[in-house]
Amino acid sequence: MMQTITQAVVFPGLLYALIWAVGLFWFFRKFMATLHKRVGPKFNGIAGSYQTLFDFSKLLTKESITPDGVNPYLFSIMPPLALIIAMLPSAFIPWSDGFIVVGSDYGLLALVVLIGIEPFLLFLTGFGSNNKYSFLGGVRILTQSISMETSFFLAALSPGLLFGTMNLTSIVESSTWFSFLILLPGFILYFIALLGLLEQPPFNIPDAEQEIVYGFYTEYSGTNYFLLKIAEFAEFMAVFAGATTLFLGAYKGLLFDSYFFFFIKMILIAMFMMTLRAATPRITMAQMLRFSWKYMVPITLINLAWVLLAKSLFFMGA
Amino acid sequence: MLKILDFFDYAKSESLWMAHFCTGCCSLEMAAAMGPRYDWERYGYLPTPTPRQADVLMITGLVSKKILPALLRTYAQMPEPKYIVALGACSFDGGPYNDSLSVIKNPTEILPADVFIAGCPPKPEAIIEGLEEVKRKIKEGIPSAASQGGLWQEMEF
Amino acid sequence: MQSIKDILNSFDCEFVEDYKKVWVKAKLNSKDDLLSVAKKLKENGLRSLSTVSPTDFLEDNIMEINYFFEDLDTKRNLWLKLDLPRESETCNIESLTPIFPSANWHEREAYSMFGVDFLNHPDLRDIIKSEDFTGKSPFRKDFDWEAHEKDNLTNVQTIVDAFKKEQAENEVDLDTDSSETILNWGPTHPASGPIRLRVHCDGEDIIGIDPDIGYVWRALEHLITKKDFIGAIVSVERLCFMDNINSMTAYAMAVEEIADVKITPFASWMRVLLGEVARVSSHFMGLGMFFNNMGLHTLAMWNMDTREFFLDFLESYSGARIATASVEPGGVRYGLDMAMFNELQLAIEKFDSSIGEVEAIFVKNPTMKLRAVDVGVLSAQEIHEFGLSGIVARASGVKTDIRIDEPYAAYAELDLDYIIQKDGSAKDRFEMLFHELKQSVNIIKKAKKKIEENVASGEMNPTKDHMVKVPKKLPKGEAISRVEWARGEVLMHLVTQEKAKTPYRLKIRAPSFNHTMMLDHLLQGQTLSDIPLIFGSLYICQGDLDR
Repeated sequence: MMQTITQAVVFPGLLYALIWAVGLFWFFRKFMATLHKRVGPKFNGIAGSYQTLFDFSKLLTKESITPDGVNPYLFSIMPPLALIIAMLPSAFIPWSDGFIVVGSDYGLLALVVLIGIEPFLLFLTGFGSNNKYSFLGGVRILTQSISMETSFFLAALSPGLLFGTMNLTSIVESSTWFSFLILLPGFILYFIALLGLLEQPPFNIPDAEQEIVYGFYTEYSGTNYFLLKIAEFAEFMAVFAGATTLFLGAYKGLLFDSYFFFFIKMILIAMFMMTLRAATPRITMAQMLRFSWKYMVPITLINLAWVLLAKSLFFMGA
Repeated sequence: MLKILDFFDYAKSESLWMAHFCTGCCSLEMAAAMGPRYDWERYGYLPTPTPRQADVLMITGLVSKKILPALLRTYAQMPEPKYIVALGACSFDGGPYNDSLSVIKNPTEILPADVFIAGCPPKPEAIIEGLEEVKRKIKEGIPSAASQGGLWQEMEF
Repeated sequence: MQSIKDILNSFDCEFVEDYKKVWVKAKLNSKDDLLSVAKKLKENGLRSLSTVSPTDFLEDNIMEINYFFEDLDTKRNLWLKLDLPRESETCNIESLTPIFPSANWHEREAYSMFGVDFLNHPDLRDIIKSEDFTGKSPFRKDFDWEAHEKDNLTNVQTIVDAFKKEQAENEVDLDTDSSETILNWGPTHPASGPIRLRVHCDGEDIIGIDPDIGYVWRALEHLITKKDFIGAIVSVERLCFMDNINSMTAYAMAVEEIADVKITPFASWMRVLLGEVARVSSHFMGLGMFFNNMGLHTLAMWNMDTREFFLDFLESYSGARIATASVEPGGVRYGLDMAMFNELQLAIEKFDSSIGEVEAIFVKNPTMKLRAVDVGVLSAQEIHEFGLSGIVARASGVKTDIRIDEPYAAYAELDLDYIIQKDGSAKDRFEMLFHELKQSVNIIKKAKKKIEENVASGEMNPTKDHMVKVPKKLPKGEAISRVEWARGEVLMHLVTQEKAKTPYRLKIRAPSFNHTMMLDHLLQGQTLSDIPLIFGSLYICQGDLDR
């Protein structure tokens, strides 16, 4: 009992998500500033490391406005719900050797399903805001997630197919440098689908500032916005952790195995995503749909065929 | 308990986000203040796309009659506590447009500002200094000027 | 030129004469002839109507209307004048909008500000002025400004009520069974600036756009008439802060023409130099804004980095980074300390070292090309008909550049070439900006070298030559001047009275006005995602849009 509560509140639960959100927000700002030839947060703490802590603390205690004409229940229930759903996948992740909250034989399935639910909740936040821009943002996120999640699921399935299991711990344990090479195309496809799922450029269509103000976030303020923002970062964590577990061997390190390597791998993915973000403009909805259904989905299917072929060539005999 | 509340108050003063709203030409220097040489993000300032998440409303220069309702509405949409910073000569007394027939000469009489930043347009250093002044005011616990008075409270918009 | 004169001579004209090198100046006697003259002019090749500028002569009881026709291909221009009675009942004239689409908003502006009624105009509504001026003509000389000013809060309340009424009517007018709606794109919008686009859309598809402008209306043209000839540069400069120096040059040229003053070679070279520095700083912002509107802030930041070095030069020259007030009638305001060129040299070196990576990462960016290549396409035909200028015109392959067509300052001594693109899409306009940026820096290098050589040889004295005295009182007269502004063609029409201490009327034709007119035309049938991109690529500044 005690252990369960600790896992829910401390690691990999709420506190971990909060620290991760504060840290990642700071890292995003600092890294982006470097790419912009700027300095970024500087004067609060070492290299401005307290800055995002202050930002989130401020949001937590600021006034939460419920605008006129919204459904107050829908409007205020969605942010906490979004946060809970976004934090659930971390229960299925093998964070370090032998540490996993729910060691299920269907861990892979649970992971992708829980990641896939999040956009629908965000759609409801936009739907419940009684604002044209929020609604447009909600519709956009729904459209985008439907088309991007297909390839996301198919790409995430390839390690399961290769190792013949949906148990995430077994997937990590059976992964080798050789299997990484076989799964490399799958990893690239997963990464591209990840950009679409996390609304990162060039697929940052749902919260395109210059087009629809801030999408489904537009009407949220104070605590509600705080919860949504934490949920967004928890979603980042879930997707990065998924990539690390499925393709990069999770906690496996060079000399010893530890959570440290898990963390480094997630940060590397984040850095790659940010660099892309600093150099890629946004594309339109139509272009995204065309890209997703005409190229991504067929290629992920071909990738599955390649994984099957590789399995029959290199793994069946053993 | 008191210590925790003090921490949140301190956090409020150290994290100022700006509503993205420009009424006049001083926004050009505001853009420069965001740029690499001056980089106001060093001090924790961040522009936000919607007024709902903003702490500070910048009156960037002149306020014409036509934009005043939008300005007031933007202010009303911001969550408490909120502060106003007025940039440039125009927001004080109309500045170079004092004789103009379409510019409000005393916008801060309607929407009182906490800090005025002089210049036409103010230099980026001055803008950052003015925002630091807002931080000092919040730390000292001075309530925002617009919450204490101003014609905006009697107006319908 | 002769063919224009022939056309005009076949009608009843008070005079037809040559004006400057590329203009014909004429005055029609009867307003009934206007339509037939306009038709013939269009057949003759004068396809653009640059602007419509009424002047209110209170004492003579005359409302004089000036039309400025241009032919961007052959560089022939016509300045056509016409007298109307001043009384509001009879102050009307046939609209030229059916023949020249570019006249649309210009006639609406004349209608709003001067109360000139344009018959058969398709859409004669108020523009720019706020709702408290409805039914009034603020730019007429007998408009009682102080009486209007007295109760400002009531005026504001009028504006608020008008806005509320409009919003309520919007909802009523829409079909309740469809997904049609009207979005307010601005003025509180991350990419809009102080302008509001009423976007009539069905989901993501745009049905039509009606720009609501005037949020930064400062009535500059009216304000200038309250100042003396030197003081007016403060207002002229604030046309748009991004490129303020060239607008001051245009005003100074008009004053110098009336005062019959010729500036020194040093001053004219300084005007070129300063003007190009301002153009560079404006183009930097324009390039950044284009990518900003596609959700990418890196280019804006990198450009800001380089731009600061050019502003450093302006600051050391004039004391201000942006509001320099450094060009005035008679030359340039300040002498030059040659040590100031060190900072310009630094800026040029910074530019040369950093422009390569901008080209590699952003100008050749494949995603940008994918996004912008088919969007907002303007044909050369449309450029002519809607009177567009500057980078927008050149991106569609129209060879127009006032620095070459009608050289001013020292541009005649520079060997300039037209830079054009072919297709006229948003991507072409972006590349156009980039190439012009490089051209401008080359001009700066040449002008700097020229000044340095001439100062070294003693031909120019940088501390004394900068200014020629211009009398405080000017004779009666009128003049027009054109400059190639960063955003396009600025035409100023200055009118003075006998022994004038202040300008009687200054009409500023600003390019963004025409460019904003194009938004509806370009965005119909597109999606919401294209609004910021096309808006950014038209290189609009709200300052010179509203004036």
